[in-house]
Amino acid sequence: MTVTDNPSSDVDATRAQSSLATAAARNLATTTKSVPQMQGISSRWLLKVLPWVQAAGGAYRVNRRLSYAVGDGRVTFTNTGSEIRVIPQELCELPLLRGFDDDAVLAALSLKFVQREYAPGDLIVESGQRADAVFLIAHGKVNKIGVGEFGDTTALGVLADGDHFGGDVLAGPQGEWGFTVKAVTPVTVLTLDWHSFEEMNGAAGGLREHIQHARARGENAKRDESGEAAIEMSSGHEGEVELPATFVDYELSPREYELSVAQTVLRVHSRVADLYNQPMDQVEQQLRLTIEALRERQEHELINNREFGLLHNADLSQRIHTRSGPPTPDDMDELLSTVWKEPSYFLAHPRAIAAFGRECSRVGIYPASTDLGGHQVPSWRGVPILPCNKIGVSATRTSSILLMRAGEQNQGVVGLHQTGLPDEYQPGLSVRFMGIDEKAVISYLVSAYYSAAVLVPDALGVLENVEIGREG
Amino acid sequence: MGTHVTVTDPGLDEVVAPSSLSTRAARNLASTTKSVPQMQGITPRWLLRALPWVEAGGGAYRVNRRLTYAVGDGRVSFTSTGTAVKVVPQELRELPVLREFADDGVLAALAERFQQREFAAGEVVVQAGRAADEVVLIAHGKVSATGVGQYGEETSLGVLADGDHFGDEVLTGTVDEWPFTVRAVTPVIVLVLPWREVRALNGQADALRAHIEAFVARSGKPSNRAGEASIELSSGHEGEVELPGTFVDYELSPREYELSVAQTVLRVHTRVADLYNKPMDQLQQQLRLTVEALRERQEHELLNNPDFGLLHNADLKQRLHTRTGPVTPDDMDNLISRRRKTAFFLAHPRTIAAFGRQLNQRGLYPTPVDYQGTKVNTWRGVPILPSNKIPISSHGTSSILAMRVGEQENGVIGLHQTGLPDEYEPGLSVRFTGIDEKAVMSYLVSTYYSAAVLVPDALGVLEHVEIDR
Repeated sequence: MTVTDNPSSDVDATRAQSSLATAAARNLATTTKSVPQMQGISSRWLLKVLPWVQAAGGAYRVNRRLSYAVGDGRVTFTNTGSEIRVIPQELCELPLLRGFDDDAVLAALSLKFVQREYAPGDLIVESGQRADAVFLIAHGKVNKIGVGEFGDTTALGVLADGDHFGGDVLAGPQGEWGFTVKAVTPVTVLTLDWHSFEEMNGAAGGLREHIQHARARGENAKRDESGEAAIEMSSGHEGEVELPATFVDYELSPREYELSVAQTVLRVHSRVADLYNQPMDQVEQQLRLTIEALRERQEHELINNREFGLLHNADLSQRIHTRSGPPTPDDMDELLSTVWKEPSYFLAHPRAIAAFGRECSRVGIYPASTDLGGHQVPSWRGVPILPCNKIGVSATRTSSILLMRAGEQNQGVVGLHQTGLPDEYQPGLSVRFMGIDEKAVISYLVSAYYSAAVLVPDALGVLENVEIGREG
Repeated sequence: MGTHVTVTDPGLDEVVAPSSLSTRAARNLASTTKSVPQMQGITPRWLLRALPWVEAGGGAYRVNRRLTYAVGDGRVSFTSTGTAVKVVPQELRELPVLREFADDGVLAALAERFQQREFAAGEVVVQAGRAADEVVLIAHGKVSATGVGQYGEETSLGVLADGDHFGDEVLTGTVDEWPFTVRAVTPVIVLVLPWREVRALNGQADALRAHIEAFVARSGKPSNRAGEASIELSSGHEGEVELPGTFVDYELSPREYELSVAQTVLRVHTRVADLYNKPMDQLQQQLRLTVEALRERQEHELLNNPDFGLLHNADLKQRLHTRTGPVTPDDMDNLISRRRKTAFFLAHPRTIAAFGRQLNQRGLYPTPVDYQGTKVNTWRGVPILPSNKIPISSHGTSSILAMRVGEQENGVIGLHQTGLPDEYEPGLSVRFTGIDEKAVMSYLVSTYYSAAVLVPDALGVLEHVEIDR
C-alpha cells in the first residue's frame, strides 16, 4: 500500500498548485471544538444511588434505642524495627478495660505483653488447653476453629490485625479454650499471661476493681440480641399473669452528623469572561469542570472521611476479613450475611470487581448482570456490584468491598445534604459571586455541603483485606 | 482528579483565629434535623409477610383431618452421666410397638437392658443380610442407611440422627434379616437392645406380651400411604362386581390451635407525652418501637414456641438430616421433594451463606428472584428467605424450613383475629389502661397469633445443618 507523502516532498514541490490548499482554507473556516474534557470524571455511583435526606439546620441527629455497647474495638500498635508494642490507651478496647483511665497502669500493663511470631499453620492456642493469656494480633491473619456437633472441626471466623481474643482472662483464668486458633499467614501476636497480669494487679488496686465492676455490669444489663436495652414483654402465657411494664429507652447523647463542606474559589479573568464566549461560555465551562471536581471530592469524602466516611463509620462487628485473600464468592456470601436485611448495593474498586470476576471464573460461576437505572452492572445473588474508584487500594494491593442497605425508611445508609441554599446551582451546591478584584479577576465561591449517616450499625458491612493482585 | 482544579482540604486552616461566627455557635440557633429513633432489632420478618393469615374467630382454630392410624414414630431422649448414656424409660413409648404401654416398671427394666456401643465415622453399625436381632437407638451422631438397588448396587435410603431408632420390629418377635446397611457418618453412640434380652424379660412381663400382640393385631387395618383410613374404591372392574361401600372417617379429637398472646404494658409519663411532641409524637414513637419488638417476638414464637412453633410442630417424618453435614444442593432437593408446591425456604442468614458456599464449590449459580421487591436467593426457583429467629446451636448447627402455604393448598397458615377492641394493626391492640398516681400513663399492648400446619407434609425441616464447616 502506498501512502501519499507530505507536501514538502520533491514530487509535490515541482508540480504547480491548481486549487486552494486546506491549510489556507482553514483560515476562513471555523473549527468544530469539543467542550474541555476531563479524565477525572467517574460514574460516581455512590452519589447516584444514595438516597439524599434533607438536613435542615446543618445537622442530622440519629436517634437510636439505648444500647449497651460491648466495646469490642481494635487495638493499635507501634513498632520500632521488628519490635512491636501496643499503645497503652488502646488497651481500653478490651471489653473489660473499657473506660479505665489510669494511663500509668495501662502503660505498665502494655509493657507486660510478650511478642511472639508464628508461621502459617502453627497453632496459637489449642482447644481444651488452659485459657490463661490475652492475645492481641499485631499483624497477620488467623483462623478461629471450633468443634462441631459431631466432633469435627468448624471454622468460626477469621481474625486479623488489631483483633484480640481471650480478653476475659483478665478477670481470672477461664478454664479451657473453647476453640483452636491457627495462623493462616505469618502472624505476630502480643500475649499477656495471667501470671504476669496478676503480679501487677496487686500493685494497681483500681484496675482489679474496674474489671470486677465491668464484669458485673456486663452480666446484669438486660439486652436483646443486638445489644439494645430490652423491651420487656411476656408471651405464650395463660391466665392472669402479671405483665411486665416497659418503656423504650433512647440513647442519651445520640450522634449528630454535621454537614461537611467541599469548597473552592473559582477565578476567571473578566477579559476572558467578557470576550471569548463564542461558541462556549467560558465561565460556564470553568464552572462545569470545577463542579465535576467537587463532586468527585464529595464522593471521595463520603467514603474516606474519618468522621462520617463509610469505610471508617462501619461498625467493627460488621467488618469481616477474606478467608484466604482474594475476594471469593464465599467471602461475598459471608458479607451478604452481615447486611442480610434487604441489602441494596455492593461498592467496590473496579480492580476488586475484576479480582472477584477472576474468582468466579475459577470456580465456574457466571453471575448474571442486573439492570440498574438503564445500565447493566455485575451483580452477586441479585445485589448489584457498583464500581467506585474512591475506595482506597493499599500499597500491598489490598482493598475493601462495601455492602449497604440504602434508605431512611428501612434504617439504612442515607446521604445528607441541604437544598434551598442561597445561589443554589445544583441540589446542595451553591455558586456565589464574590466580587472582582483590582486585577479584574472575577471570583466565585463554589461550595457543596454533604455528609452520610448509617442509621443502624447493621446497614453497612465491609469486607476487608481484599487482595486484588493475587498471583495464580 | 483534573490537575488544573485544586480543592482545599478541610481542616488545613485550623490555627487561624476565627473572624466570624462559628458553626458550633450558630447551631444553638438552628434546629437539628432529627431521625426517628432507630432500632437495630427490626428485621424484615419474612415469615410474617409470607404466611397467609387466616381469621380465627372465637380465638381457636380446629384442624379437622381424616382419621389416621397414627404410627407413633417419635424421637427418643437420653440422659448421660459422663460417657455413659441411658435412655429415659418413658421415652421408649416413642417406639411404635410400645406406644401407650402403661407399665413403667417394665419399661425401666427394658431401658436397663440396652447396651451402649460406639462407632467411628465410616464404620458399619448393621450389615444387610445379617440377622436383625436387636433394637437400635441412636443416642448421638448421624448414620446413613443404604439398601441394595435393582442391580445390586448401593442406594441411599436416608439419614438418621440423634433420637431416631430402627429395628423396633424385633420386639414383635419377628426376627428377620436386616434389609439395609447402616454406616456411621460421624462418630456415633448407639444403644442396642438384643432380642435375647427382650425374650428373657418377656417371660416375666405378660403385660408386655399382651400389648405387643394387640399391636400386631391392630396394625392390619386398611390405610393409605399417609396412614389415613382407606376410602374403599374399586376400579378397572368389568361386569357386575359388587361395589365397595365407603365413608370418609374423621379424627375424633382433632387438634385445636388456640391463639397465643404476646403482651406488654407500655408506660409513658404524662409530662413527656404532653410537652415533648415537636416534631415527633413521643407516645407514637414509643408505641411504634414497642409494636416492632412485639412483632419480632411474634415471629420468634411462630418458629420456636414448643406448642405451635413451626420448628417443633413439624411432623417427625418431615424432618430430614443433611447427608454429610453442611447443607448441599442434594439436601435441598431432598427437602423440596417431600411436598408439592413448596412456597419458600426459611433459613438463618448464616445458613444461607453456608449454602452459598456449597453452591460455589460446585460452580452453581441459581438465578436470584425478586420476592416482594427484594432480590433473594433461590433454589429450583423456590426463594430462600432469611430469618434470624431460627436458632443456631452452640455447635454451629441450624435448621432450614420448607413449606407450602395457604388454607386452599392444605399448607401452613398463620392464625390471628382482626376486629379486636382498640385495634392498632391487624391482630394487635393498644388499650389505654389508666394513669397512676405518679402521673404515668399505661397502655396494654397485645398481639394474638398462632400458626397451624394443615396436613403434616406441608412443612419440612432439614435439621443438623452445619454452617461453619
